Amino acid sequence: MGLAGAVCVLQEPSLRMCLTDVPASEQPELFLKKLQQCCTIFDFMDTLSDLKMKEYKRSTLNELVDYVTVSRGYLTEQAYPEVVKMVSHNIFRTLPPSDSNEFDPEEDEPTLEASWPHLQLVYEFFIRFLESQEFQPSIAKKYIDQKFVLQLLELFDSEDPRERDYLKTVLHRIYGKFLGLRAFIRKQINNIFLRFVYETEHFNGVAELLEILGSIINGFALPLKAEHKQFLVKVLIPLHTVRSLSLFHAQLAYCIVQFLEKDPTLTEPVIRGLLKFWPKTCSQKEVMFLGELEEILDVIEPTQFVKIQEPLFKQISRCVSSPHFQVAERALYYWNNEYIMSLIEENSSVILPIMFTSLYRISKEHWNPAIVALVYNVLKAFMEMNSTLFDELTATYKSDRQREKKKEKDREELWKKLQDLELKRGLRSDGIIPT
Amino acid sequence: SSSRASCNMDAFKLMKELRVNHEHEVYYLPKETGLMLIESTTRDDNRISAKCRNAKVEDLWSLTSFFGYSTQTFVLAVNLLDRFLAMMRIQPKHLSCVSLSCLHMAAKVTEEECNLTPTDELIRIGQCRFTVADLGRMEKIVAEKLNFNSKAITALTFLHLYHQILLSHSTDRKETLNLEKLEAQLKACLCRISFSKAKPSILALSLLRQEIEAIQSEDMLEIACHIQRHLKIADGELLLWRERVAQCLSDYASPECSKPNHRKLQWIVSRRTAQNLHSYRIVPELPTIPEGCWDESESEDSCEDVMSSGEESLSSSLGSDAEGPFFPLHIRRQKHCQHLLT
Repeated sequence: MGLAGAVCVLQEPSLRMCLTDVPASEQPELFLKKLQQCCTIFDFMDTLSDLKMKEYKRSTLNELVDYVTVSRGYLTEQAYPEVVKMVSHNIFRTLPPSDSNEFDPEEDEPTLEASWPHLQLVYEFFIRFLESQEFQPSIAKKYIDQKFVLQLLELFDSEDPRERDYLKTVLHRIYGKFLGLRAFIRKQINNIFLRFVYETEHFNGVAELLEILGSIINGFALPLKAEHKQFLVKVLIPLHTVRSLSLFHAQLAYCIVQFLEKDPTLTEPVIRGLLKFWPKTCSQKEVMFLGELEEILDVIEPTQFVKIQEPLFKQISRCVSSPHFQVAERALYYWNNEYIMSLIEENSSVILPIMFTSLYRISKEHWNPAIVALVYNVLKAFMEMNSTLFDELTATYKSDRQREKKKEKDREELWKKLQDLELKRGLRSDGIIPT
Repeated sequence: SSSRASCNMDAFKLMKELRVNHEHEVYYLPKETGLMLIESTTRDDNRISAKCRNAKVEDLWSLTSFFGYSTQTFVLAVNLLDRFLAMMRIQPKHLSCVSLSCLHMAAKVTEEECNLTPTDELIRIGQCRFTVADLGRMEKIVAEKLNFNSKAITALTFLHLYHQILLSHSTDRKETLNLEKLEAQLKACLCRISFSKAKPSILALSLLRQEIEAIQSEDMLEIACHIQRHLKIADGELLLWRERVAQCLSDYASPECSKPNHRKLQWIVSRRTAQNLHSYRIVPELPTIPEGCWDESESEDSCEDVMSSGEESLSSSLGSDAEGPFFPLHIRRQKHCQHLLT
């Protein structure tokens, strides 16, 4: 419907009436007409054009939102295609390219959607439509199909966080109500993530999609399907390797923990995966990994803990020795966690030898005094946990150090002897001291 | 035979040294009535109890270990502490300051100056509330009350002497006692105030006898008895302390760990870390969507059939490429090509 068409429609007196003003029998038809009206798209990039018409559409949309929220009996079968058509017209569009090629989602301000005054109301309307008591998925599924979902998913790349927030709710409701679309949605999200991790490292809606996945994972039936386990290992774990992890890490960690609460036997592959992808050059990421690991340990079963404690604490031992004080601090803070402490206590004979050398060394060598103070707390805890082992390790450490010192001293003396020999030889032959 | 003769000379000198120390050990004993008063005190805000003294000595051991001080420093510090507590009634809130003063004083005697930890660092790591000036004042008070001179005769003195005597008598060098192990055991005993009532010579001899019995050396047993006779230690007294030592050592070696019974340690982290600690644990906004067993049956998607047929095994090697029909073909092809290139 072109702009000229819209003006004609405006001039029709019946359309200027509110839905609540007409008798109930006429409401469904008026509803359809107003929906059709809202299919007209206005250009918001030009801020001065069509101000009156834009306002009119906005108020119509507002009216539709209210109407859908409270009225009864408005949802005829004819309404469904019109609703979907109106929503599609308004929201499905090619997203504008990013302002600069180097748009850094962590640093730069996002470009907000200019047509938000209308767009927001369309989303609002659609959500209430989906949530309406009158809504029947069996009718709607003819119009909300795979093609619709695919286009919806593409919109998640919008730079506007408000739009992504609405899309999140929309997709969540669709997933909940359309059982037939669920597998398709999961597969498409899968594709998006894989493309993101292995091809582009660009997609703005990862956090929102993960949030939806969180609510899906939370609802998994037991025993877990193989498909879901594959998703965890092949998609969620590799997601940790992406440079922009900080934008969606909270949601990702939540998904991981939910998986482990559903099926604790997944703990070992998950932790081994994290250890394999442990950040080597980015300290900020290391701190995130440590946070996630602590969340996992908070819910870990003791039998699972025993399986991964060795590689786990070898990594923690490295973190504790990190010259980056935030990494060391975060790792040391594990010892303030009561549950983790209880696990360590039960297995101190394995864990203490792994941690001991780094702890002792950094107590003497670390540049940061706050770290040294935290190390004292950890060593004290170990001392009280297992005095005999601690004393043994201290004695071994001391004798090793003494042996090293002696070696160094011997080496220095050897060099000194050689130097003296050289000098003597030089003097004997011609009396001139060689330079 | 000349080496035998010099050996005998050494043995003779050592025995003499032993006797001299034995004569003077009584001057360094804490007052028994004072110790008993502490032992009999139960929960009281105004008096030191055995429990809080023991906890504080464990703290001293932690600090000794942390700063790399010797066992000698620790034993001397405990000796000073017990002697002071046995003669002065102090409030529990001052115990930290007193004990740290004793540690610092002992370290100044025993350790090399370059290895001395400065007092502000001692206070910081010990998580104490008083100042460097407070510590200095307390040191003066303790030194004055104890007529402190650097030589104190402790159980460690006797342990070292006994060890040297055993070495000097051993003919074949096959059996030697591990001195470090004995020192660790002594440390464990000193963490209980009851052992401060024992004469150092007897406490050390008890530890020696327990270890000799453990390794079952008849030669060493003979020498130990010789020492006991030389110092005129009564059988009954030795037996009493040996029993107590045995009990203590079995607790020390037991696999059950002890939970700290005193104040919780302070965990001070930087502001940034503190902010990040729990702030990002998200509270889910979206309600859970339960998975139903009927999910797949209504779907028109063809991939459903492939997945519902049998369980796929979870590959535990994460290096393996994307496999299985769940993953898009072009990703699989890409990985395959990469494989060919390497």
